Amino acid sequence: MQIFEYNGSAVVAMVGKNCFAIASDRRLGVQLQTIATDFQRISKIHDHLFIGLSGLATDVQTLYQRLVFRHKLYQLREERDMKPETFASLVSAILYEKRFGPYLCQPVIAGLGDDNKPFICTMDSIGAKELAKDFVVSGTASESLYGACEAMFKPDMEAEELFETISQALLSSVDRDCLSGWGGHVYVVTPNEIKEKILKGRMD
Amino acid sequence: MKLDTSGFETTMPVIGFGSNSEMLDGVSSVPSFDLPRTTDFDGFQKKSVEMVKPAKGTTTLAFIFKEGVMVAADSRASMGGYISSQSVKKIIEINPYMLGTMAGGAADCQFWHRNLGIKCRLHELANKRRISVSGASKLLANMLYSYRGMGLSVGTMIAGWDETGPGLYYVDNEGGRLKGDRFSVGSGSPYAYGVLDSGYKFDMSIEEASELARRSIYHATFRDGASGGVASVYHVGPQGWTKLSGDDVGELHYHYYPVAPATAEHVMEEAA
Repeated sequence: MQIFEYNGSAVVAMVGKNCFAIASDRRLGVQLQTIATDFQRISKIHDHLFIGLSGLATDVQTLYQRLVFRHKLYQLREERDMKPETFASLVSAILYEKRFGPYLCQPVIAGLGDDNKPFICTMDSIGAKELAKDFVVSGTASESLYGACEAMFKPDMEAEELFETISQALLSSVDRDCLSGWGGHVYVVTPNEIKEKILKGRMD
Repeated sequence: MKLDTSGFETTMPVIGFGSNSEMLDGVSSVPSFDLPRTTDFDGFQKKSVEMVKPAKGTTTLAFIFKEGVMVAADSRASMGGYISSQSVKKIIEINPYMLGTMAGGAADCQFWHRNLGIKCRLHELANKRRISVSGASKLLANMLYSYRGMGLSVGTMIAGWDETGPGLYYVDNEGGRLKGDRFSVGSGSPYAYGVLDSGYKFDMSIEEASELARRSIYHATFRDGASGGVASVYHVGPQGWTKLSGDDVGELHYHYYPVAPATAEHVMEEAA
């Protein structure tokens, strides 16, 4: 199997009305064997900025630690949080630094920018940014996720409906993928609060 | 006047040397297949084997106990990482008293099991008695041996009840044939063996045995990515086989490990 499919992953982010949702599966596997069912793929950078990383699990963890480090330095120097657009450029630059020996992960970045306008983007493993207005996907289940999101997405959904939509899209897509699933992890972020939920999914 | 003898022609292909037909009971052992006409036959075979990519992504198991044979399997078909179906019948009913399990290439298993069913029926008609499990498994093993190296992917167990009692044989595409009490085949078999071997006793009731089989399949579907769907359990007794249960493993998980409602704890505390 390919190196991107070694651990298995599924990450998706969707835009709503002044809010966004980001969701991932919870499986950590070694090819077909499942090792853990509580692996963290989505991490908070600050209250209005999340990053979900799919791909090789060791690079997911290392890249996350590097990004947190860079963001903390930025906070010390600028005395404020990074904007999502700026953070996306930072991630892109860090990934391209390793152009000839890349981090084997594909990030999904989701945040609330100025005026609480939601921002989502995804990147390939060497930093090619892809901005989207509706949804972005990444991981071994990405093809199924594209189909499910395309069918279920509506613009300007409120937080409750957005949660339902992203959960359904995630669960139905990972049910068609051997390498991801075993539960789901969803964050719905509005200007005032972060709601974190664990999804009960098929454990096979 | 030429007599119309088309009605006498049999659809069964006859082996090349006509004089051997007596030894074969009139039943040929090698159905004839068209071979490809290429300049590079060896290379062609290698490429076609790689195209089929045999990967036995499944979990099947069978064991003999006091009351007969218990056979169980999952129902997932996977193509690499993609799940192509969650509802495949992996326990094949060869005849009312014999079952075969499917692991490996679906087409291969379905075809050769059906072919075996035909042979068993022909044996019954020719000998006026049912074929034994040992004989049926031998027919299949010999057939697969003659196709050795051609890229068939079959890992099957033949389970049945004949005059000598319950019988269980493992047959694979290398032509291997093993008699035994407990087998599990497929990518999920290590996980199933763990549960099966630790819970197995010869003196089990049918309920206990079916629960053990179901639990073993469930644990295999949890750990193995290529197994999942529905856990089917069949029992083969002196009167033939019966299907005992077919439970969706997604629901089985929460049946064995119910979730106590609890709020998710925010684990990412940073000194911001």
